[in-house]
Amino acid sequence: MKDERRPARDEVNPLAMQPNLYTPASSVLELRSVSCAYEPQRPAVHDISFGASEGEILCLLGPSGCGKTTILRAIAGFEPVRTGEIFLSGRRVSSSSETIPPEARRVGMVFQEYALFPHLRVADNIAFGLRQHSRAERRHRVQDMLHLTGLEGFERRYPHELSGGQQQRVALARALVQNPVVLLLDEPFSNLDPDMASRMRQDLHVLLRRMKTTTILVTHDHDEAFAMADRIAVLNKGALEQMDTPERIYHLPATPFVADFVGQADFIPGTVKEGLVETELGPFPNTARSPEGASVVVMIRPDDLHLFPNKAAACRIVSRQFRGSENLYTIRLASGQLVHCSESSTTVFDEGTAVDLRVSATHTVLFRHGPL
Amino acid sequence: MVSIRQQLTSPLQWVALISAALILLPLGYVAALALAADVIVWQRLWATRIPELLANTVSLAATVSLLTLLLGVSTAWIVTRFDFPGRRLWEVALVLPLAMPTYVLAYVYNYLWGFGGPVEQLWQALAGPQSHLFSPQSFWGASLVMTLDTFPFVYLLTRSALLTLNVSFEEVARTCGASRLETMWRVTLPLLRPSIVAGVALVVLYVVSDFGAVSLLRYQTLTYAVFQQMTGRSDNQAASILSILLVVLALLFLVTERWFRQKSRFYQTAGRYRAPERTRGGWLQNASLSAYLASIVGASFGVPAWLLVVWTLSPEAQEALDGRFFGFVWNSAVLSASAASVGVLIGLPLAYLAVRKPTWLNMSCLQAAYAGYVLPGPVAALAVLILFLKLLPFLYGTAVVLVIAYVIHFLPAGLQSLEPSLQQITPNLEEVARTLGSSVRETWRRVTFPLVRNGFIVAWVLMFLQTMKELPATLLLRPVGFDTLAIRVWLEASEEYYRLAAPSALLIVLVGLPALALLLSRDWRAA
Repeated sequence: MKDERRPARDEVNPLAMQPNLYTPASSVLELRSVSCAYEPQRPAVHDISFGASEGEILCLLGPSGCGKTTILRAIAGFEPVRTGEIFLSGRRVSSSSETIPPEARRVGMVFQEYALFPHLRVADNIAFGLRQHSRAERRHRVQDMLHLTGLEGFERRYPHELSGGQQQRVALARALVQNPVVLLLDEPFSNLDPDMASRMRQDLHVLLRRMKTTTILVTHDHDEAFAMADRIAVLNKGALEQMDTPERIYHLPATPFVADFVGQADFIPGTVKEGLVETELGPFPNTARSPEGASVVVMIRPDDLHLFPNKAAACRIVSRQFRGSENLYTIRLASGQLVHCSESSTTVFDEGTAVDLRVSATHTVLFRHGPL
Repeated sequence: MVSIRQQLTSPLQWVALISAALILLPLGYVAALALAADVIVWQRLWATRIPELLANTVSLAATVSLLTLLLGVSTAWIVTRFDFPGRRLWEVALVLPLAMPTYVLAYVYNYLWGFGGPVEQLWQALAGPQSHLFSPQSFWGASLVMTLDTFPFVYLLTRSALLTLNVSFEEVARTCGASRLETMWRVTLPLLRPSIVAGVALVVLYVVSDFGAVSLLRYQTLTYAVFQQMTGRSDNQAASILSILLVVLALLFLVTERWFRQKSRFYQTAGRYRAPERTRGGWLQNASLSAYLASIVGASFGVPAWLLVVWTLSPEAQEALDGRFFGFVWNSAVLSASAASVGVLIGLPLAYLAVRKPTWLNMSCLQAAYAGYVLPGPVAALAVLILFLKLLPFLYGTAVVLVIAYVIHFLPAGLQSLEPSLQQITPNLEEVARTLGSSVRETWRRVTFPLVRNGFIVAWVLMFLQTMKELPATLLLRPVGFDTLAIRVWLEASEEYYRLAAPSALLIVLVGLPALALLLSRDWRAA
């Protein structure tokens, strides 16, 4: 993405294309104004509406306590809804008056800690939900799943004899073997070490694409959401802040919260003058069409800024953080405000260096105020 | 591996070794006596008593475990998975029977269920004047009393397993299409199995080593027979042989249980804690659940306790509350306090070394100390008795012998709370104190001791209370004319002076209640 960036500000780019955000007719899963949970120990959610179409991977992203797991549990049928309705394949499964039990919903669920039955072998764990099928059919399906998840040869093992990654694959196999209408994943990678997590992410992505399984994934890690999701729903304090493609969530966040949550962001105050937003870093187009004289903030990502050493400049490098593929500099502006700037990892400037800053963003994001 | 010579440099090590030897010596002596016995003695016992005693003991243990399994698991399930008015009250009340020593419950049931007693009258009013229930002094009587007294072991362990069970297991079963009932059979109960088995194991050990109930209900078990051989026939050799048989039986059982636990060691059922969903029902469900729990608590604690209060308040019993009675109280208190103090002093080096320097030597010292676990009261008494008769006869008939028997018998109970409290302090805590400039002694005083203090207190109190209600060893070893509360209950109850026995029995039950609170506070957090 960075390579494609050009100075022109209003060109047509992939971010400008509106994805099909809300298509109830083709939805496998649909939530209509769902509110739930008034127990004190669980986060409440208010008035959530979204849908997921066939084969889509949808990610619920937010900080802990934002209600993302509550929504997942409401879809599974563990959490009654107070108002609103949930539909699975066009069938109403939750409403304020009725909650169809989880066993009658045909959802597959993978828990954060996998919850493999410790008293059953891998094959029996996977076959757990296949009681109604014949013995031959069961064996056939389990073999298929073992093959798909790369677990051949492990069917006689007990869960405690498997590594974390293998356990996760068993949990996935157990959920997928029933051909669920929707697959629910609750922070599936949080118990794995980072290397293993990124490998499992890729494998899972391939597997879900191949099986065309509609998936709802809950996570607090935006990198994970970016890597996996077709669309991301960002949640905060029980409310839906934005629902969009990963690219648009990152570059065109709808709220300061989203901007701040999905990556490093700085908020530069400015004032609207003669159709432009005047800031310390120069003028920006008034994309929000704010009235003349209004004070607004401009969101800047570190990769939108470039620094050039200049002895006469008023900005100073405060610190440098080496991140492997890049250097992240913290820079103090003349007003005292701190901003961040990422440069290639091979050019190194010392702390205290006076620098000029240049903005090269393809788009300008304006808010009335910074994150609260 | 560290050589023995190196290990023997620390004085603490010597203390531990000597304590372990002191504990093992009497047991070894009993074994030696039994094995040295003439073959004819073995043959005589084998031909006359042993088959019957073994059958009685095993069938009682089997029946009681089955019944406690039913009562314990069902009550635990009800209080953890249902919501109804008074649930929290029942949750606590179901533990109360543990405060009632078996001989107290047995003696109350001798009256309640006995010939012409209230239960029989009620039964005859319902089923006709000629009908009879089984006598309390029978297999079924003993089973009933032991079940009512020991089901809380199963209840407690099952309950805490149910509360810490990771709800995700059940939820994932539901998403796999299993109904509530199916989930219970296929997932929850199999996962609870280790806890249930541990509870039943406690019950079996308790039943096998019980003396109080079987002696008052005149039901012949191995433990009771050891006592009879020693008192009735003064035949210590025969008693040794029966003791060894009993210990082997208990060991066999323990090994099986250990093996089973090894097999299910991987059951990591705990996890992210989420309160289980409790079912709310209509008034009919609430009423029937309450009635079920009420009848169990009533039969095992409510009615007996109420009877004890009534009897204590009777003029007959009031008359007996004189200086002599307070003498018994004093005797009990002094004996229990000394046994508990000696127990903590001996237990500390054993537990400390086993936790901090788990060499094979230290571990075996600790295991030796746990030997008392499989020693029923009469056997511990027998072991100490014959050893002292042989080595230090002048001490025989003094309270010293009694205290030593108590320590051997109840040290495992103390160790069980000393060990975890030492385990919870990681060496890092002491090391960080050292880096902050504290000396070894100062570290012990300012860091280690404050952390283990509560474990000490719990261990002391548990040993104190266990000793307080101990019966068979006291009966066998007490100095002449030296009576304790437990002895009084048993003597009066044997003569069917129900009212006279009541004040002592009531006092023992009341003193036992704080011990229950202590035991519970350890695994009650989850509630």
